[in-house]
Order: sequence, then structure tokens, then C-alpha cells
Amino acid sequence: MSFTSGTFIVFVLTALVVYYLVPQRFRWVVLLLASYGFYFTGGAGAMGYLLFITLTTYLAGRVLGALNEKRKGLPATDKAGLERVKRRKKQVVLVTLLGNFGLLYAVKYLGVTFDLLGLPRPGLVLVLPLGLSFYMFQSVGYVIDCYRGKFPPEKNLAKFALFVSFFPQVVQGPISRFGDLAPQLTKGNEFDADQVKYGTQLAMWGYFKKLVISDRAGVVAATVFGGFTQYRGTVLFAGVLFYCIQLYCDFSGGIDITRGVAQMFGIDVAENFCRPLFAVSLTDYWRRWHITLGQWMRDYVFYPMSLSRPLTQLGKWTRRHIKGKLGKIVPTSIATFTVYFLIGIWHGAELRYILFGFWNGILITASLLLEGKFQYWRKRLHIRTESLLWRLFQMIRTSALVFLGRYLTRADSVRTALWMIKMTVLDPEIAALWDGRMLALGLNGWELMIVFLGMAVLLTAECYQEFGGHVRKALEQRHWLVQWAAIFIPLAVIFVLGVMGGDYIAPGFIYQQY
Amino acid sequence: MGSKHKLSSKGWLVLFVFSAALLAVGLGVFNVVTDPFGVFGDRVLEWWSYDETNNPRVAKFSYLEQHHDEYDSYIIGCSSTSSFPKEQLDQYFDANFYNLIMYGADMLDVEQYVHYLLEHYLVKNLVINVYIDNGVVYDNESDAFTGSMPWQVDGSSPVSFYSRYLFADPRYGWTKLNKLRTDSVIQDVHDVFEVESGAYDKSRRDVEPIGSLETYLTDYPAFVYYPMSEQKMTQTENCMKSVGAIRDMCREAGVNLMVVTAPVYYDYLLCFDRTEVESFYTALAEEIPYWDFSVSSVSREPRYFYDETHFRNCVGKMALARAFGDDTVYIPEDFGVYVTPENATEHVSRYWDVPEPDVSAYTVKIPILRYQNFEEKSLSVTQIEEQITTLDRAGYTAVSFEDLRAYVEQGRELPEKPVVITFDGGCLDSIAGCLPVLEKYGMKATVFVIGSLMGKDTYKDTGETISSHFSLEQAGEMLDTGLIMIGSCGWDIYKLDVTAPIRCGILRREDESEKGYTAFLREDIRLENELLSPALDGDVAIFAFPYGLHDTLSEILLREAGFYATVTVSSGENTIIKGLPQSLLCMNRYDITENVSPKKLLALIGET
Amino acid sequence: MEQLLKLLSEICPGIDFEKETALIDDGLLESLDIVTIVGEIMDEFDVELNVDDLLPENFNSAQAIMDLINSRRS
Repeated sequence: MSFTSGTFIVFVLTALVVYYLVPQRFRWVVLLLASYGFYFTGGAGAMGYLLFITLTTYLAGRVLGALNEKRKGLPATDKAGLERVKRRKKQVVLVTLLGNFGLLYAVKYLGVTFDLLGLPRPGLVLVLPLGLSFYMFQSVGYVIDCYRGKFPPEKNLAKFALFVSFFPQVVQGPISRFGDLAPQLTKGNEFDADQVKYGTQLAMWGYFKKLVISDRAGVVAATVFGGFTQYRGTVLFAGVLFYCIQLYCDFSGGIDITRGVAQMFGIDVAENFCRPLFAVSLTDYWRRWHITLGQWMRDYVFYPMSLSRPLTQLGKWTRRHIKGKLGKIVPTSIATFTVYFLIGIWHGAELRYILFGFWNGILITASLLLEGKFQYWRKRLHIRTESLLWRLFQMIRTSALVFLGRYLTRADSVRTALWMIKMTVLDPEIAALWDGRMLALGLNGWELMIVFLGMAVLLTAECYQEFGGHVRKALEQRHWLVQWAAIFIPLAVIFVLGVMGGDYIAPGFIYQQY
Repeated sequence: MGSKHKLSSKGWLVLFVFSAALLAVGLGVFNVVTDPFGVFGDRVLEWWSYDETNNPRVAKFSYLEQHHDEYDSYIIGCSSTSSFPKEQLDQYFDANFYNLIMYGADMLDVEQYVHYLLEHYLVKNLVINVYIDNGVVYDNESDAFTGSMPWQVDGSSPVSFYSRYLFADPRYGWTKLNKLRTDSVIQDVHDVFEVESGAYDKSRRDVEPIGSLETYLTDYPAFVYYPMSEQKMTQTENCMKSVGAIRDMCREAGVNLMVVTAPVYYDYLLCFDRTEVESFYTALAEEIPYWDFSVSSVSREPRYFYDETHFRNCVGKMALARAFGDDTVYIPEDFGVYVTPENATEHVSRYWDVPEPDVSAYTVKIPILRYQNFEEKSLSVTQIEEQITTLDRAGYTAVSFEDLRAYVEQGRELPEKPVVITFDGGCLDSIAGCLPVLEKYGMKATVFVIGSLMGKDTYKDTGETISSHFSLEQAGEMLDTGLIMIGSCGWDIYKLDVTAPIRCGILRREDESEKGYTAFLREDIRLENELLSPALDGDVAIFAFPYGLHDTLSEILLREAGFYATVTVSSGENTIIKGLPQSLLCMNRYDITENVSPKKLLALIGET
Repeated sequence: MEQLLKLLSEICPGIDFEKETALIDDGLLESLDIVTIVGEIMDEFDVELNVDDLLPENFNSAQAIMDLINSRRS
């Protein structure tokens, strides 16, 4: 059930009405039923994966909880006992992680592995179920938190199942933390008109991004990347630009819908995007883009890795033997590269994604190494780092670096991406901007105008937020007619300009050959 | 800010629900009024050909709900079904057929439609077209808007069906409104159906002149560089189950069922696995005997196909003629076999060995000579005599357009070296002068006349003296010789009207609306027929384009008026093809002037 | 404490560690800085810190960090 389908809207409305009608202590059951119903419509076969992950992580949590209790009961003097418990805990986590990531590997990467080994792919093809990596990461995070003793494990399997499968976020995240999300899910929230209103507004904003902007921009991206050999510099550049617009509006719009819908139930889901276009550095970008994945990587990969014994030992050694900054950052750089490598293959098991990961890792490490040099030049050039102009420069620089990386994620191979970058730079053919070639990419002038106007609205709103404004709060203070306009106009725009229920097929399209 | 202007969150929610409802109703009303898929009966615009183009399954259903009492028989199947012409079906079955073609229809679609038709409408005859693709695709998930079935037919949920179309992207309706403004009588990509017959509107494709294979392959390179793709027939079993179900339903309802298999272009056949194809067609015979047109010499002649997969309407005509034993129609010898379980295995085993056809057996090259108002051009009757004598000596026989037509439509052979002689203008002296020599050698000729000038020696609008044109009585005398045929050059195309720009040939003037032009040309043809029909024993049926100018619209209008052959003034030879009436359209003619010596004439028409 | 403040300002110049009490919550310290700080602390103070200690409340101020070190020394 796609977020943009009418069925989803009806589904959410029904769930909302039922949720607020049943007694508070049963409300979480409504959510659970809705979530399983929602996931079931995505294919009965996928239910197996969901159940497997729910059960294994639930059990692991219970066992870890028991071990934690046992540990507390042991006197500090019982070194051997403590050590035994610790070993047991490690074993439990290890088995759970292997089981879960093994499953992810099997459905996502096994085919590629066979290809790499030069073997024919096995006959049985596992279909990647909806949102697997999102809810798996979320559940695995829970297990690790249990290991760390952050909270006592959830005892009620049904409640835990709701945490894994909560329907607004099961398909595309964000990757929530148990401590933040679970209490809100099971509490049984009271009806709060404010929350429902805010949620509706947020979801509307998401629909606007997805239906009005993203689905249009995607047409241009698909045309350009689909027939890239016919195009030269400027058109290729436009293709990547529209892809970036599509990607951001689609992903963040989807998350807005997720958060909006959750908010209608009185549930506050973690923020996943924080205006990435305003990032001043690549590190900053990754704090603003797909935030929950970054945080997950930080807490469950980066920290443990950098503080692991081998890396801390290595760090001591390098600090002694390598002079300057380099010696200090070797261990963290290794961890950084690992994180971006994982983010890379998280997107897909292809060389271009791995390169995309390294591209980020290299830039971030390089910026650390060269920080001193940059400071020196900034001083020499008398650049006021507080000035708006400098900020703008940083934003554009960051966007350009991200932009280059996007060639890799959308092109069909590394070679294609490099060729496209080369053409963009060496053979710009700027004339394409006005000789009508831009109008031959699947969108006419009017449709292009809608994309640009949509982006203008988006950027204006984000700029306002970036400087501390709160759109929904500010709107509340206005005359009711203004508020009504703020309902009616966006709704009308989505109704009329939204690309609803799948691709619009122009008449006669089917007959072009006949 | 006064608190009375503020809005509580509950108030906000009420406003939101109200606004959303308002917009939803607005969108719904818009979609019902424009009805771009014909879901709601298209009561306002009544533009079925547009709706059916968007979604034939749904729009044809709505159309039939309103019009099914006009039909008593149906032919159903995927897009190739369209090429079995309604006229032949009606004639042979003595029924009134509706062509229920749905692009990309699989056998489940067909089965469901048959079920619905039998339950709800009067059905006497049913023709099912089985195409090779029906073994590849079954129960296909298609686009929710353009490919879905009406809920009454496939038994899906009416709520989901209507809500989908009620709240469809308004661009569908908007585009329909836009296209309405620019709609033309010429078939366009957005209205490809003939509403009454249900078939694809081929008016445009069927007036395309077709001649030599080389030219055709240049125009349609897909036949040279055929888009080969591997096709897997995984759905044979399902398809046959549906065929069996259709057979049983018809038997139970006492409906006459005929199964035909559509011609497959040979290169497309090669995309398939031989064993799979053979078992598909033998499995079909196990279910029900059928007329097989799938693979024959026709499959190897690209000119019999509109594109890589769709055979032409004229081929459909041949197919039906074969099935009903109509020997007035030309049919390639190996085209069409009645397949039963007994002969199936042996028959299908020949598919892969269909030889490349012998082109010379069904095509012929025809030079056409064009003489015009020769006394002005100082081409004398003596010179014409000399040329005709030369042609006779070289073994040529001048034939009429009727002879060409008989060759194309009935396959009646032409003499060894055929040539066609035409005279433009109808000046009395020249024709009368040539008649004896034509009679002497038994050579036929065609004279193209301008109706309004017949029997005149002054121009009607200006009174200017012109050479004398023969009259209707004189025309009758010529026709009586059996050697002269009369064609038309238009009744008064050359009209001088000071208030309007001059027309280029019979083309539409720039200041003229399409409707105005259509009316003008139809009226001109009507006047010509009014004048000539009594002498011709029928309408005039050959047309010479003034100045040789023609375009799609004029070609369509002429064909509609019954002209089976048209000539231009471009120099060049012609290839005519049995079974392909289009090969008589826009034919080239060699301009014969006083500078053409008898020897030069022979060289011109390819005699070495 | 002095030793710690010196160490901190060496790693992250430009932050007033004596006054700031929301180093993490305000985003002044990044994950990279934290890892570096932890590494240095383990060297300088000879204590064992592990992932479980990487909680925002342990790093929001210099005092919090000092408390963390002291709790591990004992």
C-alpha cells in the first residue's frame, strides 16, 4: 500500500477513528493490528521476515535482560562469574546479529556474491521484502541497547512486535530507538486536536514534496539517465540535478508523511532530515541527511569500533610514530571509512555504491587533515567566517560535493558515472539551456515551471526554519481566513498538480509504434 | 490580534475536512464530466474513440451498455483482432458484428468478456482471435487506469474501481478537453478507434501508398532491423484453459463460436522456441478446431503488415474469405488451414519451413504514361500513333485500371508486359484522334476529365476561350468502344474565386477550416458523379490529383468516396501487389511530351 | 581538572570548556571529537572507558567528564 494511494488515506483515517474510539489501554492493540494489516498488504511472503526478526530480537532482548539481572546479583568480587556473564552476553548478541544480518545478506547480496564468484545464480530467488533493512536495523539497535543495559527488555511480545512493525515507518524508516519510540506506542495517547492538526499539516507537506515535485523531477532524471549517451554536459548536469531534487523530495517527503501520520496518533517519530541543503560541510550534511541511519552507524559501529582494543592500541602506536594530525586520526579514520563503506553497500551491493561510500570517507578524512591549512588560508584571505556570504559558499561547496557523489548512485555503473562527470565538465554545451533541449526531457515548460516553483516554496520554507522559524506555530497566530487559505491552496495544489496513483500516461503513448 | 479571528485546532480540523471534501467532490465532478476513460458513460462529450484509446476495456464496455442492441455478434481478442474487418464478418455471417479488440488482451480478459456478453447481451456469433502472444502473457497486471477491466466484467470491487476513476489525475480529463479543440477527422494517436465497428481506425494507414519492397523497407526499417527479443510461452496451459471455458460457455448458450489465429510476422516467430510454439498450436486444436492463419507465406511479406506485429486489414479480409470459401477474393494458396486434432501436429511442423515467397508471383511492375492536352504541347496525334505502335511491337499491352484492380483484388493475371495509358484534361480533338490507333492495337486508355468543362469551349467563370472538351454524349461513345475508361480530375477544383486564395490542387486552403474543406471536396465529388454516373453505370472510381498534389486528408476523403486508384504526376514506375489495394494509390506516371521519341519511351519504361 | 581542561582545549580549540554545560546537546562536540577525547583520556589518566560510557550526559561539560574519569579510577 503506497503512501500516495487513496487506499492508504482511507486506511489511516479508519485506523485513527478506531484508535481514538477504543479505551486507552487497548489503543496500542489497534496500532499493532493496523501495522500487521499494512505490512500484510505488501505481500504475505514478507510476513515471514518480519516475524523472524521480531522473534529473534525479542528473545535476545529477554535473554540479555536476564543476564543483566544475574550480573547485578553477583558480588563485585566474583570476577569469574562476572566474566562468564559477560561472555554469555557477547555470545547472545553475536548469534542474533549473525542471524539477522545473515538474512539481510541472503536476500540482498547473495545474488551478487554468486556473480562475483563467477557462479550461476541459484534458482531460488529471495524477494527483498519491504523495508527489511529499516526495521532490522531498528531491532538490532534494540538488542545492542539491551546488551549495554540501557533499559530493561520488553516482556510483552505483542508490544515489542508493534515497535518493530509500526506502520508509518516500517517501509522506509526512520530507524527509531526503542527507548524513544516504544513508550509512546504502548501508552495509549489521548486525543489531542493540536497533534492531529500538526500531523495533518506535516503529512500535507510531505505529499506536496512527493507528488508535486519529486514525481515530476523523476521524469527528467529517468529520461537523462536512461539515454545518457545522447546527451552532453548541461543536460547531464540537469539530469543529476533533477535526480537530487527527486531523491530529496521523495525521501524526505515520505518521512514527513510518516511523521505526520504518527503525530496524528500522538506519536513523535525521530526526525530524519534537517534541511541538508543548508549543510556547511560534508560531516554536517550527514548529520542532516538520513539522520537516524547516521546516528545508528555512530552508536553501533563508529563508537564501538574506535574504542575497540585493536584500534585504541593502533591509535597509541600511530600517535607515537606518526607526527602531526595524521597520527592522531588514524583510528577514527578507519572507523569513519568503515561507516561510509557500510552506508555505501547499505544502498546496494554494487561497486558504484561502495565508491560512493569511499568518496564521502575520503572527503571527510581529507577535510580533517587539511583543517589547519584551511584555517591558515582563511586568515590570510581575511575571510569572516560569520558572514552570510561565507555560509553561502560553504553550502554551495557542500552541495557540489554531494552532487558529484550522486552521479555514482544514479548511473548504472561506475564507468557511466565517470563518463557523465567528464562530459559535464569537458563538453558543457550550454546552448542546451535555451535551444529547447530541456523541453525534450519528458516535461514541458509548464511542468518544469511547477518543479521550479515547488522548489522555490520548499527552499523558502526551509530557509525560514533554518533561521529558527516554526512554520506551523507561526501560522497558528494568523487570522482564520489565512489559515483556511493555508489549508485550501496546498490541498488544491496537491489535488490538481499531484501525480497521483502511479504514472500519468499521455494519450496515444501506447500507440506510438502502431 | 483579536481572539475571535483565531482558530482552534478543532476548528482547523473541521475546515480541513471541509476543504478536502470540497476538492474531492470537485475532482470527482470534473472526472465524471470529462470522463477520459468512458467509465461514466461519457454523457457530456460523447467522444468514445478518445475514451477507448485511453482504456478500450472500460470504454467499450460503457459504449456497449448503451449500444449493445445494435449488435448481435462479437469478435474478441488482442490488438491484431482489429484487422478482421467488420464488413466481411457481417457479410459472411449475415450478422452485425462488434470488434471488441483490447490492446494487450490476454485470454483471461477474453474469457471474462465472453462470460459477460453471454450473460447480458444477445449473442449469435462469437469469433475469438488467438495470437501467439496469448501463450506468453496471461492475467497480466496492467496499468490501473489504462489497462484495467470494468468491475462488472472481471468481478473486482466496484468501490475501488469507481474511486480510482473518480479521483484520477485531472490531467487525463484536461488533456481530453485540450485534444477536443484540435480534433481532426484524420485519425490521430489519441483517437485510434472507429466507434461503430470497435476496430482500430485504419483510415490513415490504409491510404498510404505501397509499392516496391525496397521503398517499404526504407519507410519501415523495423522489418530490416527486426527488434528480436526472446519470448517464453509459459502461459500456454492457462490460455488453453480459458479457450476451453469459452468453448463450453458458447456450447451451453448455443452460440456459434469460431476460433481464428492471427498471422504472425515471420521474424517475430523466430523470437519463440519452436517446441513451445508447436505445442501451443496443437494444444489449441485439442481444445477446439480453428482456422489457422498464423504462419504462411503471408508471414514473410512485410508489406502485409502495418508494423512488426500487426497484419493489415486487407490480410484479415483474405483470411475471412478463405474461411468462408469466397473465391472472388485473392488469397495466397497456403494462407489459412482448418486445423483439427488430426492434422494439427503435421500442420504446425511446417511453420519453420515456410519458404521465402516468390515475389514475382504476386507483384507486377506497371509503367503508366501520361499524355496531356497535346495540341498545346505540340505533341501530335501522329506521334502518339507512332508511340503506341512501338509499344505494341515491343510486346506491350495497354491495360485499364479495372484490370489492375482485378489483379490486386482477385488475383486475375495481367498480360505479359502491361502498360497503362492515361490522358489528362479530356480535350476532344486529341482523344478522338487517338481512338483509331487504340482500337487497331486493342490498347486501353483512361481519360481524366474535369466535369465542369465537359462539352465546353469557354471557361465558365471568365468566359475565356479554351480548347474544346468532349461532352457527355461523346464520352458515352468512347466508353462504348470498351477501350476507354473515364477517371476524374475533379469537377471544378480549379475554380477561380477572387475572394479566396487559390487552392493548390485539391489541397485544403490555409484559410479554410477542416470542416469547410471536407464539405467542399465532398460536394465537388458529388457533382462529378452526378454528371458522370449515368454514362459510367456507377460512380467514378479513378482520380488524377491536379498537379499531382495530395495529402492524407484528401486521400482519406477520396477513398471514402470510393476511388480505388489515384495517380499523381511524379515520374517513376509502380509495383502493384495482389491482396494489397493500397498499391493502386498515388501511382506514378511518366510524362510523355513531344520530346519523347519512341526509343526514348521504351527506355523510360524500362525496356532495354 | 586542570590537566583535563588543557587536554580538551588542545583537541578542540575555540570552545570554552570551563563554562559550557551542553557540549553534546548543543552540538559543539561531534562524534569524532568525542572519540578523540576518550582516546586521550584513556592515555593521560590511565582509565578504561567503553562504549557504554558514551552517553550525552557524560560529556556535556568538563565537570561531567571529570566525574566519569573519577568514577572509573576508583
